[in-house]
Amino acid sequence: MKAIFKREFRSYFTNGIGCVYCAVFVFVMNFLYYLNSITQYQSNFLYIFNIMLIAMIFLIPIMTMRIWSEEKKQKTDQLLLTAPVNTMDIVLGKFFAAMCVFLVSLAFTLVYPLMSALYGTPEVAITLGNYIAIILAAGAYIAISQFMSSLTESQIISALLSIVTLSLFFFLNLIFESTDIDVISRIASFLSIITRYVNFYKGLFTFSDVVYFVSLTVLFLFFTSRVIEKRRWS
Amino acid sequence: MIKINNLSKRYGPKEAVKGISFEVKKGEIVGFLGPNGAGKSTTMNILTGYLSATGGSAKIAGFDVLDDAIEARRHVGYLPEQPPLYFDMTVDEYLNFVYELKAAKQPRKAHLDRICELVGISHVRHRIIKNLSKGYKQRVGFAQALIGDPDVLILDEPTEGLDPNQRVEIRNLITGLGRERTVILSTHIIPEVVDVCERVVVINEGVIVADDTVENLVHDLDGESRFIAEIEGESDKIIPILAAIEGVVDVTSDGKAYTLTAEEGADIRKAVFYAAAQNDLPLLSFAPVDISLEAVFARLTKKGGER
Repeated sequence: MKAIFKREFRSYFTNGIGCVYCAVFVFVMNFLYYLNSITQYQSNFLYIFNIMLIAMIFLIPIMTMRIWSEEKKQKTDQLLLTAPVNTMDIVLGKFFAAMCVFLVSLAFTLVYPLMSALYGTPEVAITLGNYIAIILAAGAYIAISQFMSSLTESQIISALLSIVTLSLFFFLNLIFESTDIDVISRIASFLSIITRYVNFYKGLFTFSDVVYFVSLTVLFLFFTSRVIEKRRWS
Repeated sequence: MIKINNLSKRYGPKEAVKGISFEVKKGEIVGFLGPNGAGKSTTMNILTGYLSATGGSAKIAGFDVLDDAIEARRHVGYLPEQPPLYFDMTVDEYLNFVYELKAAKQPRKAHLDRICELVGISHVRHRIIKNLSKGYKQRVGFAQALIGDPDVLILDEPTEGLDPNQRVEIRNLITGLGRERTVILSTHIIPEVVDVCERVVVINEGVIVADDTVENLVHDLDGESRFIAEIEGESDKIIPILAAIEGVVDVTSDGKAYTLTAEEGADIRKAVFYAAAQNDLPLLSFAPVDISLEAVFARLTKKGGER
């Protein structure tokens, strides 16, 4: 797992995708921060997490689209899958590498709480809660995107699939909000990323929300390893 | 070392490998021969654990490739048809990655140095793989397979796409490696097999059609011998004369040269000479045809050509 992680993490920065991802992420966040906080003399920056959550629907699939597609295309999966390692180790190595790239980009946003600490009174607990939540959400996003990448050889299709799926998860409750059937709207709201995230945003740190994100991540990591395993049987 | 028993693989409705069985002993170099699409790569992919078999079993060093997958894979070095290289890494980075991936136990620096020396890539270790020539990429792929000193080497068309000099080098390398390791090598280049392998397994349409030493295969094919005679004159006149010689079974002509097939045990050389002389036909050249592995191969892999 360590070997995969190291190679994967490096490759994000040698092939440029990691750099581009970080640059775009930081640019978008800073631009919005500038518009909403700096020009408005506002020390509040928590809205940035909402924007992040939506921006990540597009950015994370682009970062991770090549994660399996490329291996399959270059036939390097033959090296990985014939090496004496478990498939799950490979999946985890790739997952943590993508996670670390995300953490690098997230580190740039630490400047906002710093600013607000200098020029106002930051709400430490809520800030911390939001950071934890965004990391948990990123985990789920990456796991889902990695799964989509394992399904296809085409990076574009993999990115599109991920964006659609993530959007679905995200807006699930909005889509079914208007339905009269109580069960469906409740299930939708239960599964929706938004409903879960709102609690964190408010500063409510509930165990079930953490479990939600963690299980979504674990579930899709498991699916990915199954898909890769299943290829042997094709 | 390798034990394949009734192995089969089905891709949807198409059966690529139909219940093949063979064994490879320790230290043997076996050539796995067959036309394109015969099931060579599929069999190799199953042996290395990249694909799963639909039926039968395969064991490497006593470990089942399915049930003890990880342990079996530890004993195998695999060079697939297309070397599995990360183009954005340098050769050194790549080999270090494979070393870590395989969790090799050998002292890292000495081990990698030795392998690079062996396959002749020491001077390109700092270069990015993308920029290497095809021959060097192939060698890096070879080096990758050698990391961790596996007992079994599975090489899928290792000399494909190389120039003649590089082919010779790779062949020598394989011969050298074969002294201490078990090697299965797939190819459709026959001289390669004759040079390198002690034993040949011929596969056609998913079935093993021959499994023997090179000498036996060539000898075994038939007791007949063939000659090529170049005779001046009209072929309409010549063919009946040649055909009338005692011991000649068959005469074919391409207009200038005549191929004579003699029946088993018969020596027709003198008779041909006298027959030509008596009929005033100048015999320009006369030579026996070695029955090559090519001929064996052609015969075995012709549709329905079973033994």
